[in-house]
Amino acid sequence: MSALIQLKNVKKTYKRGKESITIFDGLNLTIEQGDFVAIMGPSGSGKTTLLNLLGGTDRSDSGEINFDGERIDGYNEGQLAGWRARSVGFIFQFYNLMPVLNAAQNVELPLMLTKLSAGKRRANVETALKIVGLWDRAKHRPKELSGGQQQRVAIARAIVSDPKFLLCDEPTGDLDRNTANDILGTLQQLNQEMGKTIVMVTHDPEAARFAKRTLHLDKGVFAEVTQ
Amino acid sequence: MTDFDLVWKNLFRKPLRTILLTVSIFMAFLIFGILTSLNVALDRASESGSASNRLVVSNKINFTQSMPYAYVNRVAAIPGVTAVTYQNWFGAYYQDQRTSRFVGFAVDPETYMAIFRDEARLTDAERQAFLSERTGVIVGKSLADRYGWRVGQTIPISSNIYSQANGRRSWDMKISGIFTGAKPTDPTTAIYFHYDYMNETITFERDQVGTITVVTASPDQNDQVAKAIDANFANSPAETSTVDEKTFSRAFLKQAGDLNFIVTMVVSAAFAAILMIVSTTLVSAMRERTKEIGVMKTLGFSSPRVLRMVLGEAVLLSSLGAVLGLGTSAFILTGLSKSPVGSSFGDLSMSPVVALSGLALAVSLGLVTGAIPALSALRMSIIEALNRG
Amino acid sequence: MSLLNQTGSVIAMNVRSIPQRLWMSLATVGSIALVVAVLLGFLALANGFNQTLKGSGAPDVAIALRDGSAAELNSVISREQIDLLGQGPGVRAGPDGRPLISAELVLIVDGIKKSTDTKANMPLRGIGSNGLLVRPQAKITQGRMFTPGSNEIVVGAGLLREFSGFELGKTLRFGAQTWKVVGVFEAPGTVFESELWADAPVIQSLFKRGSTFQTARVGLTSPAAMPAFVKYVKDEQRLQLKAQSEQTYFADQAERSGLLIKYFGWPLGIIMAIGALAGALNTMYASVSSRAAEIATLRVIGFSGFSAFVGTMVEALVLSALGALVGVAICSVGFNGLSASTLGAGFTQVAFRLQIGPDIISQAVTLALIIGLIGGIFPGLRASRQRPLLALAT
Repeated sequence: MSALIQLKNVKKTYKRGKESITIFDGLNLTIEQGDFVAIMGPSGSGKTTLLNLLGGTDRSDSGEINFDGERIDGYNEGQLAGWRARSVGFIFQFYNLMPVLNAAQNVELPLMLTKLSAGKRRANVETALKIVGLWDRAKHRPKELSGGQQQRVAIARAIVSDPKFLLCDEPTGDLDRNTANDILGTLQQLNQEMGKTIVMVTHDPEAARFAKRTLHLDKGVFAEVTQ
Repeated sequence: MTDFDLVWKNLFRKPLRTILLTVSIFMAFLIFGILTSLNVALDRASESGSASNRLVVSNKINFTQSMPYAYVNRVAAIPGVTAVTYQNWFGAYYQDQRTSRFVGFAVDPETYMAIFRDEARLTDAERQAFLSERTGVIVGKSLADRYGWRVGQTIPISSNIYSQANGRRSWDMKISGIFTGAKPTDPTTAIYFHYDYMNETITFERDQVGTITVVTASPDQNDQVAKAIDANFANSPAETSTVDEKTFSRAFLKQAGDLNFIVTMVVSAAFAAILMIVSTTLVSAMRERTKEIGVMKTLGFSSPRVLRMVLGEAVLLSSLGAVLGLGTSAFILTGLSKSPVGSSFGDLSMSPVVALSGLALAVSLGLVTGAIPALSALRMSIIEALNRG
Repeated sequence: MSLLNQTGSVIAMNVRSIPQRLWMSLATVGSIALVVAVLLGFLALANGFNQTLKGSGAPDVAIALRDGSAAELNSVISREQIDLLGQGPGVRAGPDGRPLISAELVLIVDGIKKSTDTKANMPLRGIGSNGLLVRPQAKITQGRMFTPGSNEIVVGAGLLREFSGFELGKTLRFGAQTWKVVGVFEAPGTVFESELWADAPVIQSLFKRGSTFQTARVGLTSPAAMPAFVKYVKDEQRLQLKAQSEQTYFADQAERSGLLIKYFGWPLGIIMAIGALAGALNTMYASVSSRAAEIATLRVIGFSGFSAFVGTMVEALVLSALGALVGVAICSVGFNGLSASTLGAGFTQVAFRLQIGPDIISQAVTLALIIGLIGGIFPGLRASRQRPLLALAT
């Protein structure tokens, strides 16, 4: 296995008023291609910051962030946006679907950032929705769908442009146990059958069990690694 | 799905809100369309029937003061003058002084028809008839239609200025012809009759002319000829003031009031009002969507693209209102043109210039109202956007 | 809690929540203010013009014109006719013991309108010594009155305000003659202030008018003497004139200026009002939806739907009243007393001042409150239909 993501000596400090708060000071992390990593940790441990750095939605102060051979830490905002569109699928706690679009249109959204033809887009949307088992709900608006269904649509949106990497932020935080397990099963399937590399931030130890390994983050340091 | 589809769907996220905003914008453009067209029509009215190589000579004291008849030949002899004609304002009305006043001039038929051939179009037969009949009158088509006049009919035309030696205030005139304007839309609400017929019968102001129209060899000579005419009559009891036709009629129209100024004020007020309404509503609408914009950015939509979509939404909204508003005002103007009040303005229909400037205004309105929400969408950091709400 | 108390506290909550939608609420106030200002501007324009015309006519002065002439310019009156007028019933005697008749003639000269820098028609009126006696409002405020028999002119203060070319001390040329401006007179709120006055016989001779005049103003002993005098003029076959009270003469002219308001002011005001109404409705719907949770909670506690309705209604009315206030303030500061001029019935310019009065303010404020009323009703109904729910899905 080769490394998909490599963080080397990453530093990150936030300014809050006059105070500056150091989140990471020399963080190192390697995630192999095809890995499924759960990241756990108390509030304020730096989970969210790590998520933003991995997703290219925030920039480190220093250190290296490598993704599949690309140094993304030096990218400007526009380059990062392009990189996110190509390489990362995002899954959020509150699904974050566009209320004015139906399921199929929501899934199509990332394809607007590609040069695919209309026909190819339709085919991709259909494939993605079929993978999450919601093709029969393609024309439904988000408010006509249950929470679990909405999260499936969000997963379809995350995989429709076939990125290597899926980043999940508490994907089951708003769902009941059974539904949560369904969703986690789907993620596991995507990891095992389609080779997606997945990083999932979660509070829930049950959810973490679906991952191949779990990293515990505390005060900006990985405290313990559970295989 | 294209960016446009997305913009369109976002625009109608809350249909009632969008419809209300469209109504506001619609009203502003309705005002713009109608007032600006009226203004343009008035401007054109002052220019219609004015040629660039024609000058108007009037008494320097005021154009209502007359000049001696002898001036006509003296003006004609001035170098650079190729033709002259003259006219007297008659204060004409038909039957009722209060309700049926119109433009009436006593003219010299031969020179008048030579110079104003295009502005008062007649058939050759009508032209001949007017020349040969001393009591002949030519009437505009609009007037003929209004009063049901026909060629050959004799009508009494009254004056609110002159009276005849026999005490009568009206002159019997025989209609020699009915003229149309250079363009079918030009107003033709005037009559022209023989100066001699009037001059021989009036009790005062005999052998006086009101204004003299001069044709110059070319517009470049206008200034020089005008100066020569005025210099020729300097220090006489009736000094002259000579200006080109357009300046003359503009100055006259401006006397009623500064319509330009009023139109500008009202249109600005209307636009200031919708600017406030639309931009504040869009700001609050965009605030509701902060999180969605954050998600779009996370998915990889670049900030400039998000900015374009938000601006596009505002421009789409204002264009929608503008197209409806301009369309409705064009429709109303067409209707107004056919009414008696409107027809005196001539062609009221919306000119392409007004329509295009309206659309340009719509785009700028969209850009201005969309600017604040678009900039905040541009600057919005993903982290803050997703943490909100 | 009584319905009254309920409603009162809901109104207070509504009004206190306005700052939460500060910009939208300000936009509503601002747009209503602009509607009020535009309408009030037009009304003040017409009102000022009308007041000036109406203020010009005296009830005990008869004006005689050639029968059939609507304006002084088109009228002709001879010396003989004037003598005949003096024999009419109820004619007051002047200081010299002879009938108080001011025989006058008007001709038009060019002035330059300051605002547009274009030529405009100024009335040059020839009057005699009785001219001032039939116009008691007029007083020389600078310089002096013209000397009879000389080429001297006095100029109205209103004319000076709006037009250039007739400043005190200036020498003017009309044809071959030169004239000198020797005085300024004021006749506040009348059309006479927009005139130039000179000695009638001088004008007759320099402008070749022989011994004819155009109008005669006849001073009567009282307004009650008017009908008898009018009848005398009508019945006297040798006159062929028409007399009417000066008051009626100017009131007729004022009537025509109403067209500006009828065809321009009100339609524009109403179109703008609909635009502003749409904005007000948006603001009020936003208000109701932002307070949905609050209203639902109040309904759970036992507040009525009616109180929610009234609360929204009052909020809308408060915004429109504020708008009206700002609009009236803009007009009072910006337009009231502003000098303007237009072509009057005599084919000459009339200078006047825009006038804002209680009656036109109440018209404009009514329009603003109608916007508030309609802008509150529909959102208010939505608020009143908000069901009492313990938890609201967000």
